[in-house]
Amino acid sequence: MRKLSIAALGVAASLALAGCAAGGDTGGGEAETGDIRVWLVGTDTPQAARDYLKETFEEENPGSTLTIEEQAWGGLVDLLTTNLSGSDSPDVVEVGNTQAAAFTSSGAFLDLTDDYEALGGDDLLPGFVEAGSYDGHFYAAPLYSGARLVFFKKDALAAAGLEVPTTLDEYISNAEALASANPGKSGLWWPGQDWYNALPYLWENGGDIATFEDGEWKAQFSSDGSIAGLEQVQQVMTNASLAPKDANETNPQVGFCEGTTLQLSAPSWVKWSILAPLDAEAPGCPDQEANLGVYALPGMDGGAAQVFAGGSNIAVSAKSAHPELAKKALAIILSDEFQTIYGENGLVPAKLSLADTLGTDEVAQAIAQAAGNARLTPASPKWADVEASGVLTDFFVQIAQGGDVKELAAGLDERINEILNG
Amino acid sequence: MAEPSILFQLPIALGKVSGHTAIVTGAVMTTIGTTIDVAPSGIDGERLVAPSRGTPAGGRKGVLKGGFTPYVLLIPATAILLVLVGWPLIQLLIMSFQEYGRAQVFGAPAPFVWFDNYVKVLTDRQFWQVLFRSFAFATVNVALTMVLGTLVALLMTALTKTFRLVLSVGLLLAWAMPPLTATVVWGWMFDTAYGVVNFVLTNFFGLDYQGHSWLIEPLSFFTVLTLIVVWGAIPFVAFTVYAGLTQVPDEIMEAAQLDGASGSQRFRLIVFPYLRSIFLVVFILQVIWDLKVFTQVFALQGIGGIRDQTSTLGVYIVQVGLGSGEYGLAGAIAVLTVIIMMAISIYWVRQTLKEDPL
Repeated sequence: MRKLSIAALGVAASLALAGCAAGGDTGGGEAETGDIRVWLVGTDTPQAARDYLKETFEEENPGSTLTIEEQAWGGLVDLLTTNLSGSDSPDVVEVGNTQAAAFTSSGAFLDLTDDYEALGGDDLLPGFVEAGSYDGHFYAAPLYSGARLVFFKKDALAAAGLEVPTTLDEYISNAEALASANPGKSGLWWPGQDWYNALPYLWENGGDIATFEDGEWKAQFSSDGSIAGLEQVQQVMTNASLAPKDANETNPQVGFCEGTTLQLSAPSWVKWSILAPLDAEAPGCPDQEANLGVYALPGMDGGAAQVFAGGSNIAVSAKSAHPELAKKALAIILSDEFQTIYGENGLVPAKLSLADTLGTDEVAQAIAQAAGNARLTPASPKWADVEASGVLTDFFVQIAQGGDVKELAAGLDERINEILNG
Repeated sequence: MAEPSILFQLPIALGKVSGHTAIVTGAVMTTIGTTIDVAPSGIDGERLVAPSRGTPAGGRKGVLKGGFTPYVLLIPATAILLVLVGWPLIQLLIMSFQEYGRAQVFGAPAPFVWFDNYVKVLTDRQFWQVLFRSFAFATVNVALTMVLGTLVALLMTALTKTFRLVLSVGLLLAWAMPPLTATVVWGWMFDTAYGVVNFVLTNFFGLDYQGHSWLIEPLSFFTVLTLIVVWGAIPFVAFTVYAGLTQVPDEIMEAAQLDGASGSQRFRLIVFPYLRSIFLVVFILQVIWDLKVFTQVFALQGIGGIRDQTSTLGVYIVQVGLGSGEYGLAGAIAVLTVIIMMAISIYWVRQTLKEDPL
């Protein structure tokens, strides 16, 4: 008995010591040093920006280091949930703007309300500030916005006797005409899982994703406007696209460079995937530069369509071991110098005042047009769950497959209502 | 000097022969410091000393050897299991009775809702569809794996040394391939636009498989999935059964052959009974593995197909939990899964013990 109690004492003591050690680690001092881990998602952020962040941070904070870890967009919500709640949380994390609410509402991010002015204040992109705020507090700053553009092969469009479309109907008929003039090629490459590209069709036809009425969310995929848009989506997917009906939208440059994709709608930075050097890890086709045309998706009545404003927010983890250092890293990320690199690479910077860094070429003009008419997904903390559950990709795969639009839309609305109001 | 353990066994045995020894033994024990009841004996001068019960000093080694040693040896494994499996399992059980969402992950209090999660799961049509799908998948896969694995094992006994080596290396490579890697590579082979399968079928067989999607139809999806899972599981069955086959005495097989037993009769009547316990263990493992298959389904769903129509238990739990942020609900599904798996395991383990009087 005595031995047992001694052993128990020993265990208790070592546990207490371990607790002390862990506690000591998290207490931040003034001139603390440490390793700051920054999670960036996908390949969107250019290498120049990454280098600038690391070098500037380590220069300004002698003794501290900054490590950038690149994560994938697929499964990001799960990854952030498990990692931000764990004891080994990354310090600064990028999150998709439509996913931000899931974390701002659950206390995963550090409250940055007091730093709002220092980070840029009202110069920050308003839609993204909204996406990163919850209950009157500011948690996640804008990182960048990417407009969706249509890329096309100039020679193919000219050969079919077509011009850059000015309305959505023209855009659809162009895609179909290109496909029928070029058997075996996609007039508009559109894999079934790519649901972001379907949203403009809903919005332009007067439909919506979901609306908030009487204290509860009502999914709107089966509303009249949405159905009209979805029928157009199905028309394009079945008549103009040879992309796999159940594939996702990664690596759009492959078909474009191979010559089987004549048009595609994608985030603005895809330009750099297409023009990537031949010896890059994911090679593109730089020889197509002169043949690569770009325009903003036209709306129902001309002008730019209401497109989905994809992009990212950036936040500090509530469990960061070095919150002060993490905030300093965040300040560098939102500095004019860092954000200018985004602009020069075709991503809309997080600050309104830096819009002119995009330049004045075709892409820049198209981005400016598209960004001026961009819309967001429903502002519900549970919207990220809708995306992560895969109901949207399932739905559009079935649309691409030629399924019954009304029946599928009614089923989708039911599932979305369940998640948003659950 | 004799070893203490021998000394301990001595008193009664020797006591009858010589009182002197017993007294000596008693003295030894007394010196260690325990009070021992000494019984009077009919033989003059002899005192019987009962083996000490529960006294640590003198009796420890002997008692351990006979009674406690196995349990002591079990402690490390049990402790690890309790920490790594037991504790999470208790957490899971608690969570399944709570309303547990993403806010709770980040520290909000989790209210108890008791059986609400279970009621929700058991009244959800989708859960039953997933359960049925998982069992159907497991049935087909276990049957295929067992039959093909056994056939490969039989093939190995018939091969020459060189070819057996080649086959073994091939099997080992398949077994060593991580499931995720395997699924990604199989996914490329069945790729809609650039896959080698479509290419070969179109160009060498003249079939119209240009741009054919293998994953979009659930049945076709499960065919590809079965191919991946069975391919990965055959090596284990083949090696295990082959190891068993080498233990079947050659004389008996030879005698049966001389008596005119055909190949299938020899397998059914001699080999199978010999290997029954091996087959049972492999069978149980396969059932459990195929019911809880996760990686291959999850990865393949990322490549193509419709999640709603292809989810099995493992991925369904992840979709409900991590995907939709409903951890309590996912916990309830996981607990139900554990119960199902345990029921199956206990049933088969009992069957094994019944049929196998070892």
